[in-house]
Amino acid sequence: MLKIDIDACTGCKICEKVCPFAAIIVEPETKKAKVLDGCTLCGTCVNACPFDALSIERKAVSEEDLALYTDVFVWGEWERKGEDIHIKGVALELLEKGKELAEKLGESVAVMLLGKDVEHLVSELFQYGADKVYLAEHELLENYSTDGFATVISSIIAADKPSIVLYGATPNGRDLAPRIAARLALGLTADCTGLDINANRQLVQTRPAFGGNIMASILSPYTRPQMSTVRPNVFPKPSLDETRTGVLEKIEVNLKPLSIRTKIEEETISSEDSINIEESHLLVSIGRGIGSKENIKMIEELAKELEGTVSSSRPLVDLGWIPHPQQVGQSGRTVAPNLYIALAISGAIQHLVGMSHANTVVAINKDPEAPIFGLADFGIVGDIFEIIPEFIKILKAEKNK
Amino acid sequence: MSENVIVTNKVETSPFEDVRSVKGDKVIAESYPGYLVDESKISGGHAEWLLFPTNENEIVSIINKMKEENQAITISAARTGIVGSAVPLLGGAVVSLERMDDFIGLGYDEEDSRWFVRVQPNITLNEINEIVKLKKIEENQSIPPEKNWIGKFNEEPTMFYPIDPTEMTASIGGCIAANASGARTFKYGATREWVRRLRVIISTGEVLEIPRGKYKAKDGVFIIKTAEQEFEFKVPSYQLPKAKNAAGLYTTPEMDLIDLFIGSEGIFGFITEADVWLKEYIPHISNVAFFTNEVDAIKFVTLLRSSSKFKPEFMEYFDNNSLTLLRDTQKVDPKFVNMPNIPEEANTAISFDLGYKEDALEETFKEIGLMLEECNSSLKDTWSAYEERELDRFKHFRHAVPEIVNNIIAERKKKYPSIHKLGTDMSVEDEYIGEMMEFYHKILNEVGLEYVIWGHIGDNHVHVNILPRNMEDLELGKQLYKKFAQKAVSFGGSVSAEHGIGKIKHEYLEIMFGNEAINEMRQVKTTLDPNFLFNPGNIFSKEVS
Amino acid sequence: MKIVVLAKQVPEADKVAVDPETGTLIREGVAAILNPYCEYALDEAVKLKNTYPEMEIEVIAISMGPPFAAEALMRCLELGADEAYLLSDRKFAGSDVWATSTALKEGVAKLVPDFDLILTGKQAIDGDTAQVPAETAEQLGVPQITYGVETEIEKKRIKVKRETEYGYQVLSARLPTLVTMSKGSNIRRIPSMQDILDARKKKLEVKSADDLGIDENIIGLSASPTQVDRIFAPPEKAGGALIPEGTDPKVAARKLYDFLKENNYL
Repeated sequence: MLKIDIDACTGCKICEKVCPFAAIIVEPETKKAKVLDGCTLCGTCVNACPFDALSIERKAVSEEDLALYTDVFVWGEWERKGEDIHIKGVALELLEKGKELAEKLGESVAVMLLGKDVEHLVSELFQYGADKVYLAEHELLENYSTDGFATVISSIIAADKPSIVLYGATPNGRDLAPRIAARLALGLTADCTGLDINANRQLVQTRPAFGGNIMASILSPYTRPQMSTVRPNVFPKPSLDETRTGVLEKIEVNLKPLSIRTKIEEETISSEDSINIEESHLLVSIGRGIGSKENIKMIEELAKELEGTVSSSRPLVDLGWIPHPQQVGQSGRTVAPNLYIALAISGAIQHLVGMSHANTVVAINKDPEAPIFGLADFGIVGDIFEIIPEFIKILKAEKNK
Repeated sequence: MSENVIVTNKVETSPFEDVRSVKGDKVIAESYPGYLVDESKISGGHAEWLLFPTNENEIVSIINKMKEENQAITISAARTGIVGSAVPLLGGAVVSLERMDDFIGLGYDEEDSRWFVRVQPNITLNEINEIVKLKKIEENQSIPPEKNWIGKFNEEPTMFYPIDPTEMTASIGGCIAANASGARTFKYGATREWVRRLRVIISTGEVLEIPRGKYKAKDGVFIIKTAEQEFEFKVPSYQLPKAKNAAGLYTTPEMDLIDLFIGSEGIFGFITEADVWLKEYIPHISNVAFFTNEVDAIKFVTLLRSSSKFKPEFMEYFDNNSLTLLRDTQKVDPKFVNMPNIPEEANTAISFDLGYKEDALEETFKEIGLMLEECNSSLKDTWSAYEERELDRFKHFRHAVPEIVNNIIAERKKKYPSIHKLGTDMSVEDEYIGEMMEFYHKILNEVGLEYVIWGHIGDNHVHVNILPRNMEDLELGKQLYKKFAQKAVSFGGSVSAEHGIGKIKHEYLEIMFGNEAINEMRQVKTTLDPNFLFNPGNIFSKEVS
Repeated sequence: MKIVVLAKQVPEADKVAVDPETGTLIREGVAAILNPYCEYALDEAVKLKNTYPEMEIEVIAISMGPPFAAEALMRCLELGADEAYLLSDRKFAGSDVWATSTALKEGVAKLVPDFDLILTGKQAIDGDTAQVPAETAEQLGVPQITYGVETEIEKKRIKVKRETEYGYQVLSARLPTLVTMSKGSNIRRIPSMQDILDARKKKLEVKSADDLGIDENIIGLSASPTQVDRIFAPPEKAGGALIPEGTDPKVAARKLYDFLKENNYL
């Protein structure tokens, strides 16, 4: 809890001014600071107090206990493309990041690979930088299930005591990681956009909050492993080193059908299955300003000319005009194409968090105040229905030259 | 004791060259076209000068210069008006007050026991409310300074300036010149009632300092004493309608001088400073009731209006055509995705806001429930919300009809460039609203025009929007407009309850007051501004028709 | 049948910002609302209640938060919940995901021990972690189905259509289960005046840690494994070239072409 040293407090009100939650005031009668209900113990006031009158009492854990945990683990999530199984891009991104963290700690990086008939992926993981792969294969791991995967990973963690575990913040990663955190009573930080090691060898996890309007750095000082999820396309992918190899450890799995309490009844792959906007290098994205479903044809034509893919903001998905897998933003996907063309998208913060990692952003919007322009490398204030047809004409004409 | 003689104060003039200016009609038309139009979208504005004064001294130097050059002055602020008052049809100078937008201070009137703010003319209503609601007022902004009002104000509950003319980016100066009103006028009246004090620079280049209550007409006569001369004039003798009105000059035999300037559409000079009253802000609960026919809906309005226990913030009306338009648009336009679904069987809707007080809620709702049942509706069929986000959605719902109408017209303009919306702005006395609505529907349906009716039913002031499909429709609509004006006047109403006359409704002012009355208004103008220096063409033309 | 809806009150996220100079949250004029995803969960609960009258479904909303979070529960009652409980105590202060899910688990276990289904939002729009539901499910020892869009109940089993990266999947699980909702109707429901009147007659109780007999060592900051080290404003990205309003569309299109050409996108 937040403690106030009444003798040291001068009633200067600095704490009152800096508190992000209006949870500390200086009482007019006593001229001393007082903590209110909204205190989240974020520590802002403690750092700001010039008289060291504020402190936060936290429980202590011994250094020796923490030192028992070493190495960085990454969940090796895969996906099916037709008949084939591939390691997901985000898992490779985490492998690269995990390697960097492990190097800073002087430790190694391992991948936990769960599934059925996935052993062929192991060598690729070594080539991308894994020092070790834990391979857990079982009939019941053929498809992802919360229960099955949480059980196996929890047991690997409990047995081998890593200091850090990273998961992709994919739908399955976000389903799985908290389940494990709760089981092992661990801290877990979601959707990190930055991971680093501080002077105390702690993992500093930086993440956006309030829809990206603020950033927060988070530590898990007293528990191990420290666990984070990271959205796809936030960190760069590693390069392949075909000569690289590592240690394979096969994990014995004892799952029973009863221990998996959810059952897959149906699986529907949208017809746009071939489109994965997370991997597309050029996205033409549309927002509610598109007006009617009919107008999407013009956008598809543009995307075709540019050899890109159509994506959209949430309202069009809500209307059923664009399938959910093509939605960019907080409740959709995070993308990082080379070129992102935002057409008639105003750029609500929920959308921006999904595309702010794009290399180049082009925006066309009628409203000069649209927030998307703040992010755009090239913006046009104007009507897409006037500009895009002209633009397509130019594209075609130039091609024919 | 009030008096009918006011003495002007002299204002030092500053060098005209120091005023930031743009000269030349071509460069203004090319680089500053925004200053030649307002929300009326009427074309034909042109100006030789575009000027940006920062204080009264510069305004005086502009007045002197333009008198010398024999050029008219069009006073310009946020240009949100929709009758062309800020459009310089006669050329001359456009004087934009955009650099006079300060929040000067805040005071407490101990006589009236009310808070007020002192502001420059170009501050917007949004800006005033943000400063006042969030109490962003500096210690040194107390009026007068020695009273140190700010500390006391900070302990008060949330306050606000209650006039909401829909367009909250309107300037306070513009609102005062137009006597702006809006939906909330039903409860709070129009701008007029909220003005405590004005400073006005008249055509002599001197300033009138007018606190409310100090200068009142004697038998309709005022005397203004300036350094060099004395103006004596009689205010017009016509009777103002009891219904909500924004047409013509305000007048009563014992009127306050301040009221002559409020709603005068800028024809007497520059408002350079104003004090406006504040009011305690009470959270709202927004409601939309649906009815299966218009008669029931209007009956509900009558019942709601007559309650002795509470007074709604406003009452807004949407006819069947409006609801159909909303329903149809909602299905196809993603901009309206968030708007609530309108029940299929609803024929007419009444949107009304109430002050939200938890302890009074049950009693109020029960009473409204009885009224609704009397009108074949129920609490169950009535939307209700008080969360900020929901209030925004309801607002979106209320503003969607005019927005959609404008979109449709914009689309039709592509085929017929000179087509435009015909929107009425007429009020009638309480007892005639039912008859007036019947008249609108009957006439419009007879000729088969496309139209919607929506608006401030609390003040018996609805907007008929005719959507011409072609030029014949437009002509037909214009003829009907005159018929409506005559009918509204015969029902004790106004031809313009809120938009004003500006440059586009002269003929309806004539229908309402007659030629003689307009000449009386012109007489006042000629006395105070003999050369028609300020805003010529607003309310009436210089030439007698 | 008893359905618990876990609800959270949140600030309207897109209006919260950080003062770049002081690094503090600007919260002036930011309203507190019921987390939209929790509202989808509540809507789903009410829908189930209306779909299966024979199951005699009761909908109980539970939230943890400061005393004014009761407003969010009042909204739940207006939208059709039958009763509501607010877990509110200084001892909960400083809870991270783990400690929050512990408090919710304790609350559910003590207030509605015989629950059949827990519905909640996939995430709250202020923290966006999407972790509390899964941790609560784990602590209660029930299965979870996340990212649901539609549910139906069939013979003590719940079937949930859920969003996946590639489309949709239908999962089923035996009750009791926890389901998070990622989507609801496009259009938020609006309570009627009657709903608002009725809500004020329903049970809405505030419970402290002591009321529920929760050991204070397992809640609040002292039980939270994560700590906020620092809060700061995100780096601002400066906007690039902007073609102004009113530019001839042909000219604008040409400039766009040139820009893409220069940057090797064509």
